[in-house]
Amino acid sequence: MRIAQRMKDRQPQWEELERLCDELEMAGKARRNADRNVSAAEQIQRFAFLYRSACADLALADAHQMPPATVTYLHRLVARSHNQLYRTHRIELSGWIQILFVEAPKRIFSDPCVRVSAIVFFGLFCLSMYLAFQEQTFPGYAEMIAGQEALQQADDSFDQPLNASFDHYVTMSGFYIQHNTGIGLRCFAWGILMIPCLYVLASNAIQLGAVFGYMARSDSAAGDHFFEFVTAHGPFELTAIALSAGAGLRLGMGLFYTGGLTRMDSIRMNASRAVPIMAASAMLFVLAAFTEGFLSPSPAPYIVKAYWAIFSSGLISFYFVILGFPKLETPSAPREDMSEIWDAT
Amino acid sequence: MAGQRVCRQQLVLTQLDATPFMVANRPLDTTIEVITPENIAFDYQLAGPFRRLPAYLIDFVARWALIFLILLPLYLSGFFLNFFSLGPFLIAATFLVYFVISWFYGTLMETYFNGRTIGKWVTGTRVIEVNGRPVTGRGALLRNLLRIADLAPMYAISNLSEGAPPLYMIPTGLVGLSSMMLTRRMQRLGDLAAGTMVVVDEKRWRIPIDEVDDQRVPALATYLPADLRISRSMARALAAYVERRTEMTPARRREIAKHLIDPVLDQIGFRPEIDPDLMMYTLYYHAFLKTEIRTGENPHDVDLTPLRGFSPLRQFTAADAGKGDVRDDDLGHSRDSHTSDSHASNQAEVV
Repeated sequence: MRIAQRMKDRQPQWEELERLCDELEMAGKARRNADRNVSAAEQIQRFAFLYRSACADLALADAHQMPPATVTYLHRLVARSHNQLYRTHRIELSGWIQILFVEAPKRIFSDPCVRVSAIVFFGLFCLSMYLAFQEQTFPGYAEMIAGQEALQQADDSFDQPLNASFDHYVTMSGFYIQHNTGIGLRCFAWGILMIPCLYVLASNAIQLGAVFGYMARSDSAAGDHFFEFVTAHGPFELTAIALSAGAGLRLGMGLFYTGGLTRMDSIRMNASRAVPIMAASAMLFVLAAFTEGFLSPSPAPYIVKAYWAIFSSGLISFYFVILGFPKLETPSAPREDMSEIWDAT
Repeated sequence: MAGQRVCRQQLVLTQLDATPFMVANRPLDTTIEVITPENIAFDYQLAGPFRRLPAYLIDFVARWALIFLILLPLYLSGFFLNFFSLGPFLIAATFLVYFVISWFYGTLMETYFNGRTIGKWVTGTRVIEVNGRPVTGRGALLRNLLRIADLAPMYAISNLSEGAPPLYMIPTGLVGLSSMMLTRRMQRLGDLAAGTMVVVDEKRWRIPIDEVDDQRVPALATYLPADLRISRSMARALAAYVERRTEMTPARRREIAKHLIDPVLDQIGFRPEIDPDLMMYTLYYHAFLKTEIRTGENPHDVDLTPLRGFSPLRQFTAADAGKGDVRDDDLGHSRDSHTSDSHASNQAEVV
């Protein structure tokens, strides 16, 4: 039998497989085929059968001297069916809970990149705050860093006691989620190139520090209201920035310092480690945004905000230290990392 | 033509100088082989920057359209019900929708539509993992978050003209481009981190030509030696040629076919002035289309009139025609004598 005849014989099956692929791509699942009275389960069985035979055709393509165009077509057909057979794993809720509350604290606790970014962020923040606070020793520092207009604006907006309405809360928490989490995500993404991430982190730290130091001066009119405003959400937000930069630096380390792996494997492994840290950071950003939207601008007494700040700091410490402390029964962390690579390759 | 060839030789020579003992046996095509759990190896064609840039631009528009489409009914219903109490919620919803769509559009699309966004669907591409499996949620998240770094560095339009507001920053994408050029799978940094690649997912294809449109071909095929075997690589070349010959002018066809067909003509004893294109077509017919001659079937069924008495055989001269003829049909005679006598020794395999 010549090849043209053989392909004419096979063609109906290929076309049927293609039709099934079409349906699966559109609907995402096998459907009951009304006009042919075929159930979904039967259709899946049929799909598997057709896929296997297309695979066999492809394997024998060379032996059967199929023309190149047909071979290309078969490659595509098998690839398409393969994609339907092994579909995307959707992000499942339980998977994210596992990542957020089991994997992330451990990673954060043991990751030197997080420590580096925390030291850079809080170190520069404190330094900048001190420089801005000592007006006599470093005159004009705060004005130079934060800008005269920004400081004036901050003065104006915290001039009055905090007394925002409910409308304001809802709007502002939406804005803070969008704006601050955006900064965090950007910090993370830049991390793969390291320098931009460090730049964003450092500039945020210095500017925030300058404003804080300026407000902390004894002659500042708006200082009290300002600190009343930032107390409640401070722990969440500052930690979240440091964390997102830490996750970004973890990515960048994978690119620049491979530790004996090939560069691709190194990037992939480090990225996989960075995702839980980034997820934790995003969670903190959202918590901070709600605090910043609802509690911080409210006229609630300062003691409530201070308690909330202490409570949230305690929560973060619990999360990092208690959940993140390395367990004794899993000392073989490197081996776990290797298995990630084997899974990935 | 000659100049081109010289250039190519020089190129090959310089490449050989660089690596004197190693010649890359990897195909130059942008295909990546993937081996499935069924132990089938199939090829994916990678999508380069010129396919991915339009996809990105379409996605950019789609993102804003999506934001608009979600917010429009929200705002409309808000206006109809009570704007003053619902207003803050609407503004908060605007921020949230903008945040979610602009950061997680790609992630959600690729996770729920099997590695495709709207732009990828239009341009016929798809994201998969480097091992051929579909992209995971974590991979889709990573590669979409890292797009920012890939689009770096930003170029401010205000550099161009003084009047432009400093707001407009154009991402140049040089980081992602250079990463794509340096990696074999054309991955940008986000792809590298997520272990994914973007492949072409086309469905267009053609059934191989199964009918010859030239009447001379079956007739000419009867002159081919009965024991002519077409090797595998030759068959592949023939099929590739016949698939594409209709896209070329006759002169170009002859030029291309001549290189391949000259040694063949020599081997099977055909006259060298036969149209090389027709000869390629005939060999294709012989290799792929001709049904095998069963015993007892008369091989003279083929209509020889399209050849108009022309014989392709080099040995067929007037002297040959005169001696020992049993039949009155000259062509038939020549064919028989050709296959039985002159080619019994010539076990031609065309390589």
